[in-house]
Amino acid sequence: MLAKRVVVCLDVDGGRVVKGTRFRDLRDVGDPAALAERYEAEAADEVVFLDISASVQGRATTLDVVSRTARRLFIPLTVGGGIGSRKDVGRALRAGADKVALNTGAVRRPDLITRAAEHYGAQCVVVSIDADRDPAMPSGYRVFTHGGRRPTELDAVEWAARCAGLGAGEILVTAIHSDGARHGFDLDLTRRVADAVTVPVIASGGAGEPAHFVHALTAGRADAALAAGVFHDGVLQVADVKAAIDAAALPVRPAGLPFRSTEA
Amino acid sequence: MNVLLFDYGTGNLHSLGKALELQGARVRTGTAVEAADALVLPGVGAFGAAAARLAAHRYAVRDAVAAGLPVLGICLGMQLLLDGSAEGEGSGLGLVPGSVRRLVAGRVPHMGWNVVRAATNHGPGEPLLRGIDGERFYFANSFAADPADPAAVTATVTHDGDGFPAAIRWGSAAGVQFHPEKSGAAGLRLLRNFLEVCR
Repeated sequence: MLAKRVVVCLDVDGGRVVKGTRFRDLRDVGDPAALAERYEAEAADEVVFLDISASVQGRATTLDVVSRTARRLFIPLTVGGGIGSRKDVGRALRAGADKVALNTGAVRRPDLITRAAEHYGAQCVVVSIDADRDPAMPSGYRVFTHGGRRPTELDAVEWAARCAGLGAGEILVTAIHSDGARHGFDLDLTRRVADAVTVPVIASGGAGEPAHFVHALTAGRADAALAAGVFHDGVLQVADVKAAIDAAALPVRPAGLPFRSTEA
Repeated sequence: MNVLLFDYGTGNLHSLGKALELQGARVRTGTAVEAADALVLPGVGAFGAAAARLAAHRYAVRDAVAAGLPVLGICLGMQLLLDGSAEGEGSGLGLVPGSVRRLVAGRVPHMGWNVVRAATNHGPGEPLLRGIDGERFYFANSFAADPADPAAVTATVTHDGDGFPAAIRWGSAAGVQFHPEKSGAAGLRLLRNFLEVCR
């Protein structure tokens, strides 16, 4: 049985990992390559590298930093931020990404999802959706682009289903209103997206304690849950999150036990 | 040990190259199989695109493997060892009789860390899994190998009730559906096992 995944996100700005609340008030927390290596050692199942200002500043992802991060990593690396064309996808993969996360680029040109999936395989195309509550939308959630700054006319759940239909291999859904608040993932949003697609779903935004991950993976029906700041601050250890998932009788790749598996 | 890392011209090869180097191999990236002690077919891209890139080298690779060159196919690289795929046009290498089918599961792609178990009908067991049988490895696949002879399946994995080969072996051709270069310590051990088998 597939293990539920714990994903650590590195929000990168100007080559440094930064942390903010609700996508704002950024501060420096370290070097992406060093942090990625640390999280691999701590049994993170995947690392996501998001160049958070690329779309806003209208430029491509900082590939030299991606490359430096990938060089030391033997777990999957997803790269996002500023990926707007199939060439950008190819460049990110060649720099060492295993998957790319399309966000603003997919909203602007939905056929990019299909073109990337056809050429590189659906398994390396993640669509990242930043959603905020909005009662005017059918699902109650609106899609935002440009690092959560710019509203679109898209309903988050409908957009997720459309992305999966266009060839996305995975959906990463971030609740903007929960992000950084540490009160837990938006389980309603996560579950609606997970029920609307048949590809894996990664929950994001709001993790504050190990139980929040368990909730995202059970009530939220997510396949993976992602956090950034709580890990960077040392508020949470990946091992503690894994222990909570294991205690909830969910399959998990254990921390700190190389060459041992908990599953019979 | 000179390992040729076959380049289809798509995607990321350096995590695999770097992982093999870490286990003591000298790695060359390219398409010329001459002078290689072992061949690794990496797992990036879609079947049709990779098969098209492979077409010009198909006979050279087949001849080299027939002459005993050990080959390890990874993910898509494993699927290319078979005759063809439901994913796309083009021919595989035909080194393992059979085809490639789409997964039948609630959530596809099969994405993440899953438990790999050596098939029990193989006397000595799959040498690639020495010391790591039952470990979790990282998968990212929507398709799976379907060898004509079940004896080619040396390890299995199950997702949402669909069981499929995690590893296959036929003559000097071996393949794994997961990504050892992305599977942490257990994956690095598998690559070391491969290099040891080639020696």
